[in-house]
Amino acid sequence: MSAAVTELDDDSPVNPGEHHTHGPTDAQYFKVFFLLVALTALEVSTYWWDDIFNADTKKIAVPVLIALMVIKFFLVALYFMHLKYDSPLLKRTFYAGMIVAIFVYVVALTVMNFWSDSGTTEFNDPPIDPPAPFCATSSEPGPCPAG
Amino acid sequence: MSGLAYESLEDVEFPDDIHTTSTGISNEKLGMWVYLASDCLLFGGMISTYLIYKNRPGEIAGLSGNTDKVSEYFDIPFTSMTSFILLMSSLTMVLGVNAVIRGDLTRLRLWLTSTAVLGALFLGGQIYEFTNFVVNDDLGFTSNVAASAFYALTGLHGVHVVVGVIMLLSMLAISFGTRIRAEAVEVVGLYWHFVDIVWVLIFTIVYLIP
Repeated sequence: MSAAVTELDDDSPVNPGEHHTHGPTDAQYFKVFFLLVALTALEVSTYWWDDIFNADTKKIAVPVLIALMVIKFFLVALYFMHLKYDSPLLKRTFYAGMIVAIFVYVVALTVMNFWSDSGTTEFNDPPIDPPAPFCATSSEPGPCPAG
Repeated sequence: MSGLAYESLEDVEFPDDIHTTSTGISNEKLGMWVYLASDCLLFGGMISTYLIYKNRPGEIAGLSGNTDKVSEYFDIPFTSMTSFILLMSSLTMVLGVNAVIRGDLTRLRLWLTSTAVLGALFLGGQIYEFTNFVVNDDLGFTSNVAASAFYALTGLHGVHVVVGVIMLLSMLAISFGTRIRAEAVEVVGLYWHFVDIVWVLIFTIVYLIP
């Protein structure tokens, strides 16, 4: 494995003293890579969780998958893309784009009835749990009592 | 540091203009980050569109297509393998960036070639997957709305990979000719990692979440 990344010394023929990269070493990159591989393997394993545990694991698998995705995203951004080591201006630029994207599309998904999608193939399908009908003359929730 | 090709340092050019910008960051690098931030919005739109339509394939008027959900045809073990290939290409890319920072052009060429080959392998996997859907499953771009959203999203990512491979091969060609700029390799690396990061999202959101 290669040695640590160091600055070029002032005797270097290449623009001496003008290079200031302090990124991770090759060994650190390998550690991040193996961590990413392990997380990906865990992600992929969720595909077989139903068979392995002989149960419906969707409610656990989905949050686990989202958490793993976020961790992988930041591992690549912080280490491979050097965001951890680069100028704060670059972090702000990238995070601003990301936050605007998340905000805009969460709103778009909400408007398009995504969160209440009941899984049918209908586009304007009703929510999974429609609100109980309300009776104006009764203090109890639900439809008006007979009579 | 042993094993370094010090003589090749003369062929590597480091930026001498970074201290002349008001931000202290070279314009190329800042420009790439601004582009990547805007690309977040583009892919966000494509992913949202797929999410909205994935359970509502419907049928495009005038076409008698396959109205099954795209997810019914996913081959998760195969896509996992191509995802691993793309992840590995990110590692070879950062090793290439470190090599050029050290002025080691031999290893830079090795890692650039490896990254381009891994990118091409990923593309081959995507072409195989698309062909399988169209030929064996009768699920084309215009079969239904969900299929259109799926092909548009993953196809757009594929186009990004193609552009990345071209950029890598250009860097490789430049390394044999004129003096190569270390920061140019780093900027190409940023683009390549972004392509990987987007696939991290697509692989989970599109393929793995039921």
